Amino acid sequence: MSDFSRDTAPAIEVRDLRKLYDQKAAVDGLTLSVPRGCFFGFLGPNGAGKTTTIKMLMGLATPTSGSIRLLGLPMPEEGLAIKRQIGLVPDESLLFDHLTGGEFIEFVGRIYGLERSVAKERSQELLNLFELGDASRKLIAEYSKGMRKRVAMAAALIHRPQLFLMDEPFEGVDAVGARLMKDILLEQVRHGATIFLTSHVLEVVERLCDRVAIINDGKLVREGSMEELRGSSATLEDAFVRAVGVGTLRETLDWL
Amino acid sequence: MNQARAILWAQWRSLRNFFPRKGVGWTAIVGLIWYGFWVAAALAVMLLTSSPLSTSLSGVFLLVFLYWQVVPVLMATSGASVDLRKLQAYPIPVKQLFGLEVMLRVTVAVEVVLVLTGAGIGILRNPSLHPWNALALVPFAAFNLVLGVGTRDTIARVLARRRIREAAFFLLILCAAVPQMLFTRGQGSAGRLRTLFTRASWTGWPWTATADFLQGHGQLRSFAIILAWLAAAGLFSYWQFRRTIFFDAQAASARSSGDSAASRFVEQFVERFFRMPSILLGDPLGALVEKEVRFLTRSPRFRLVFLMGFTFGLLIWLPVALGRQGASQSFLGSNYLTVVSVYSLILMSEACFWNFFGFDRSAAQFYFLAPVAFSTVVIGKNLTALFFIALEIGTIAVVCGLLGMPMRPDTLAESFSVAAVISVFMLAAGNQLSIRQPRAMNPAASFRSGASGRVQAIMFVIWPIAFVPVGLAYLARYAFASESAFFAVLAVDAAIGAVVYKLSLDSAVVVADHLKEQVVAALSQGEGPITA
Repeated sequence: MSDFSRDTAPAIEVRDLRKLYDQKAAVDGLTLSVPRGCFFGFLGPNGAGKTTTIKMLMGLATPTSGSIRLLGLPMPEEGLAIKRQIGLVPDESLLFDHLTGGEFIEFVGRIYGLERSVAKERSQELLNLFELGDASRKLIAEYSKGMRKRVAMAAALIHRPQLFLMDEPFEGVDAVGARLMKDILLEQVRHGATIFLTSHVLEVVERLCDRVAIINDGKLVREGSMEELRGSSATLEDAFVRAVGVGTLRETLDWL
Repeated sequence: MNQARAILWAQWRSLRNFFPRKGVGWTAIVGLIWYGFWVAAALAVMLLTSSPLSTSLSGVFLLVFLYWQVVPVLMATSGASVDLRKLQAYPIPVKQLFGLEVMLRVTVAVEVVLVLTGAGIGILRNPSLHPWNALALVPFAAFNLVLGVGTRDTIARVLARRRIREAAFFLLILCAAVPQMLFTRGQGSAGRLRTLFTRASWTGWPWTATADFLQGHGQLRSFAIILAWLAAAGLFSYWQFRRTIFFDAQAASARSSGDSAASRFVEQFVERFFRMPSILLGDPLGALVEKEVRFLTRSPRFRLVFLMGFTFGLLIWLPVALGRQGASQSFLGSNYLTVVSVYSLILMSEACFWNFFGFDRSAAQFYFLAPVAFSTVVIGKNLTALFFIALEIGTIAVVCGLLGMPMRPDTLAESFSVAAVISVFMLAAGNQLSIRQPRAMNPAASFRSGASGRVQAIMFVIWPIAFVPVGLAYLARYAFASESAFFAVLAVDAAIGAVVYKLSLDSAVVVADHLKEQVVAALSQGEGPITA
């Protein structure tokens, strides 16, 4: 693929993606395209296949079949080149607990090839931007859940990636922290970056995302712009519940 | 190289940040004793090699090779290793990760690195040898480092695969038992085995070639042989490492929800097994023990050490016990069941005694929150340990019976009594250690992170102390030539053990209340980019 077509290719292109765990499909024939510069929300109930999909996009899990192209490059063949251009907010267990927030961000910067002095300087600036400056000497193990998410997002920004893959970035983050993170992410999209995030917080997705996809039982059930998805529903929550086909309380327990 | 440097830097910071917060005294004492012993061994090798050599060093290098490659497998430890789970998401070339992994193989055998250093210094000081001869140690050490990666990755991946891991495990045990089988089969086999340790063995072995080069025999050929082994090990290990990187452990261990009559029968059987403790114990103790039994049975790490406890013990010691004189004639033959039982205790000690919170770390917080006395929780953990120990020894006894080993009621009583007495003392010590030094473990990993040397060092210090009461019983048997004396001393040991256990339990409950924040924090911590 030429440089031009690579630059104009969708940020994420997934075709017939499938992931089987002992014959059971966690992701079942997912086809998806995320245009560049888009704020994309990937929704689904628990166990729908969101985390498995994002793990495959991050290169942490190998698809059983199907293809993935990120920024015009095939995954996993060009895994290294792709990884250099993406910023990850993975599952928080992937943080290094015995490092301080500053040390972790600096480490990630150096892994992405930044000079040590640059990585150190940027890590301090990012800590301040994410209002973690006061906690810069604390170990990540001592951080609250929200602080862990903020430090993971700060680390994802250090090399100015073109594409962000974020797994539940707002989980456990307080209102002030969430507002701060949203503003930073919107700023990134304004500068041309693409954001692909999974979230359970539908209000956040509704406010931030241009496009949304809903997955259930490993299959894509809806995809489109926010307006298309809402349709006649008043809120995204109504549209989501309708799409995944569950919702009302059908029976109650006598003893409850 | 920048990325490798960044990983090492992050690891160094992790260690620096972590250690001041934990007591290093214990680690220092154990390390001093253990590595002091190996420094002494290195000095002995240095003295041996600094004067003109009359015999080949081939046997020494074979022992080094075996220690480096086999001991980590026997101890089910992997040493420090790159945490691929965390680093895989970043743009780090596989070659750099492989290079780091190779360097980290030093951590599984620091002991033999000391011995090789001693040998190197000795050769440099040896007037009859050219100082350049010591160079042969470099490719030999590199060969061991590189091969260690391939061995570890292959075994770890096979053991992570559902369905084939059990078969692979038994194959591994059979391989481990081959030398003993050969040794006891007859003069011819034993002789061939002994030849491996001498210069008379095939000159193409890496240990023989290293010894030949050091001693100035056919140096060009020997050096070429060592380099060829190094290249082969490099290719094999890099291939295995790449496969590990792209290995999907979750998919390999995924279980299907079988709906056949056979799978329903197995499910019912397993469920009855899980419910066994609750039949005897009332809640909440019954519920606690049942939960522990369910959890440990499902932990690949625990399953591995439980299996190793009797299979390795049985198969490795069996040929030696049978010997050429027959089972009842040799010491090991007549004490076979006890020896294997104690070996199994050693293997299971980490989960059962030393770190009972570490395996199920997510539950630790629940135990502090639940409306149950903390002593009940500790007793529940201890009863679970005893349940598995009894099950292990029972299984060993059944297999011994099937193999036709000497199996009288008194040998059975001896094995259970000895294991019970040791266990009581170990539980008393373990209750303290588990609360004062909790360490997060990954129950899903078959191989434990951490140097095998450290595990041995702990055994080196603690186990001899734990064996003193039992040793006194054996002394009484020897001195009075009486079984009654043996069991009488064991009974006294058990009574003392019960008092020690009670004191330790009460103290552990008080300490746990003081340290609960630290315990929960320590158990919820992950590690740096390199797990150790």
